Amino acid sequence: MPARNSTAALPVAAGGGALRLRWPFRRLLLKGDGQAESGLKRAHFRDWRLPFWLLAPQLFILLLFFFIPSIRALIQAFQLTDPFGATTQWVGFQNFERLFRSGVYWSSAQVTLIFTIAQNVLTLSLALLLAFASNHILRGRGVYRTVLLLPYAIAPAIAGIMLAFLFNPRVGPVAHMLQGLGFDWDPNRNSWHALSLIVMAASWKHICYNYIFLVAALLSVPQSILESAYLDGAGPIQRFLRISLPMITPTLFFLIVINFVYGLFETFAIVDATTRGGPAGATSILVYKVYQDGFVTLDLGSSAAQSVVLMALALALTFAQFRFVERRVNYSV
Amino acid sequence: MRPFYGAFAGAGALLLAGLSSAQAATEIEFWHAMSGALGERVDEVVKKFNDSQKDYVVKAIAKGNYDEVLNGTIAAYRAKRQPEIVQSNERSFLTMVNSGAIVSTSELMAQQGRPVDVSKFIAPVVSYFAIDGKLQAMPFNSSTPILFYNRDHFKAAGFDKPGATWQELEPQLDAIKAKGVSKCAMVLPGDYEWSFLENYSAVNDIPYATKRNGMDGLDTSFIFNKGKLVGQVERMKRLVSSGVMQLAGQGIIPIQLFTSGECSTIIASTASHAAVVAAAKFDWSAAELPYEQGVTPKNSVIGGAALWTLKGHTPEKYKAIAAFYDFLAKTDTQVWWHQATGYVPVTTAAYDAAKAEGYYQKNPTREIAVVQLMRGTPSDNSLGFRIGNSNQINVAIMEEVSAAFLGKKPVQQALDDAVGRGNEVLRRYEQLNAGKK
Repeated sequence: MPARNSTAALPVAAGGGALRLRWPFRRLLLKGDGQAESGLKRAHFRDWRLPFWLLAPQLFILLLFFFIPSIRALIQAFQLTDPFGATTQWVGFQNFERLFRSGVYWSSAQVTLIFTIAQNVLTLSLALLLAFASNHILRGRGVYRTVLLLPYAIAPAIAGIMLAFLFNPRVGPVAHMLQGLGFDWDPNRNSWHALSLIVMAASWKHICYNYIFLVAALLSVPQSILESAYLDGAGPIQRFLRISLPMITPTLFFLIVINFVYGLFETFAIVDATTRGGPAGATSILVYKVYQDGFVTLDLGSSAAQSVVLMALALALTFAQFRFVERRVNYSV
Repeated sequence: MRPFYGAFAGAGALLLAGLSSAQAATEIEFWHAMSGALGERVDEVVKKFNDSQKDYVVKAIAKGNYDEVLNGTIAAYRAKRQPEIVQSNERSFLTMVNSGAIVSTSELMAQQGRPVDVSKFIAPVVSYFAIDGKLQAMPFNSSTPILFYNRDHFKAAGFDKPGATWQELEPQLDAIKAKGVSKCAMVLPGDYEWSFLENYSAVNDIPYATKRNGMDGLDTSFIFNKGKLVGQVERMKRLVSSGVMQLAGQGIIPIQLFTSGECSTIIASTASHAAVVAAAKFDWSAAELPYEQGVTPKNSVIGGAALWTLKGHTPEKYKAIAAFYDFLAKTDTQVWWHQATGYVPVTTAAYDAAKAEGYYQKNPTREIAVVQLMRGTPSDNSLGFRIGNSNQINVAIMEEVSAAFLGKKPVQQALDDAVGRGNEVLRRYEQLNAGKK
């Protein structure tokens, strides 16, 4: 098909046929000599305008929903303010000092650490197990996969309420079953029970996300290698552990990062619905405290300071993961 | 293009003309936090007002629970799109008064030629919502905690009715559990800091905070970690750890455990009448709050909410608001509201009217809250509570007290920590609002 570039005053580029563009794009995208190359490197954009307009919508959304709120949070972290905005005082580092002096905050940090690690381990191992198993099922594989993906469509608050109800020591069927087995289950009076409840709720919601990535990763493991291992007499578990697992480490690494982000930032709705941070602050993870202090008790200064700390923590964590964990990730196969 | 614009302008003019003739009535928005049956009652009372006259239309909009309404109001106010009226609970009193965003009810009514006579309101309501005899908000739904009990369970355990004092009630609760009448002799309400701590200290006439519980200024401090309240929390802890008192936990509402017949007693707001009447399939009754032996019980304090008028509206809107408040304070409206919801009537005239029509003979439990609120002369300890950032402090207090229930720390230490955390918030509130009342 001939390029419809007759309106362009530019000389027709002999682009090898693969990249035929109309006038404005041609001028912006192609190199000075008119030669198109495969792959988009910075050198391909002669002009700043095309990349700018391509990025603009995303940048605008980021500006509106990320940068402006972040900057406002940063400012508010150094203020003491009335919720209606009638009075505002600059208090320097007072909000932060108060935070780091507070025993409640440190115990919340401790709970968060246990929660995110437990959630990460549980989510990843279960998703891995399910991905492995559903890959080895021949009949009804699609049905299994669909069913496994369903929880992702459930709102966190609903997932939380459902679990809270199922495990309620007075009326919950699962709680009654546990009590029938002689296990004195009571998340209202036992911190560990409450904590395991939110780990369960958060993981259950996130297993599907992990699962879909792992299924895709396992599918991309070259069949030829698996077949030759099979011919050498390796069983399915051995093939999984020795071949598939090392080959999907990039996906695993990505999921670990995502799971930490999820646990740290996206779980406040689940906590609110499942335990409300109780009993006695046993499940009050950092992001829930931000939500509660800011939106329920209207302590905006402290809430902003906490979110700044969380932001710094997220940056540090991501940096550390890429710096240290990524070394063990095997990208080349 | 020209004809199109012309047509557009013409249509716009017609539309405007149509609107201005249809909108002779001034419309005001009223954001509230009532859901379920109570939300329907709000719609009814608003409809009654709208039907009663032609000049004003009130639009009632449910905006979630009290916290959510307050949050929504703040966001709307900051965006300069605030409604005319918001319902806000008694805890947010100082937040609202010091927000700079409200018009005091007394001032508004005086300006509109409908002056408020505070002596017509019942005393515990006035002491909560008025400063120097001036109503800051329009009292709307006022309640106080009372003790609901399952009469069948009490009879089965060999009792007539619950004892008036804790010293009499406690052995009864133990017996109900020991005799196997029910596995849950009492269920702890979700708002127990109101019913078990604040109202306990009011009824038993012990100080909760200095400066008459904050009435005399922002430089108040909590002192509930000394004296009888320690014993009260010790008692609660004993009841919880012996399994006599159960925690409902997330997923269900405590009152449901009472109305389902699972738990024998609950100390809950008199507004729970609506839920109990609707759901309880057993012989139930109610009683006044238990108190300590040897004490002459004082009045309890109110909870619930009031209506706040927001700044920044046109004079016609304020006229409409004043008319609506006037309608709400009417004896007829109050009597209807009291009987339909279980909330207490906020004026003495309404109480007298309900009494005169023999309502309490047929519904004796409806009178308990009113009698309990009006008994004796209020002391410094039973006037009410004026605590800044009260929501935030409550979270801290409940966290510490439940740490004591869980056995994470001794009761005394938990209360000391609660007082420490509470005072820290109070000092910050004082720092921010220095010079205000």
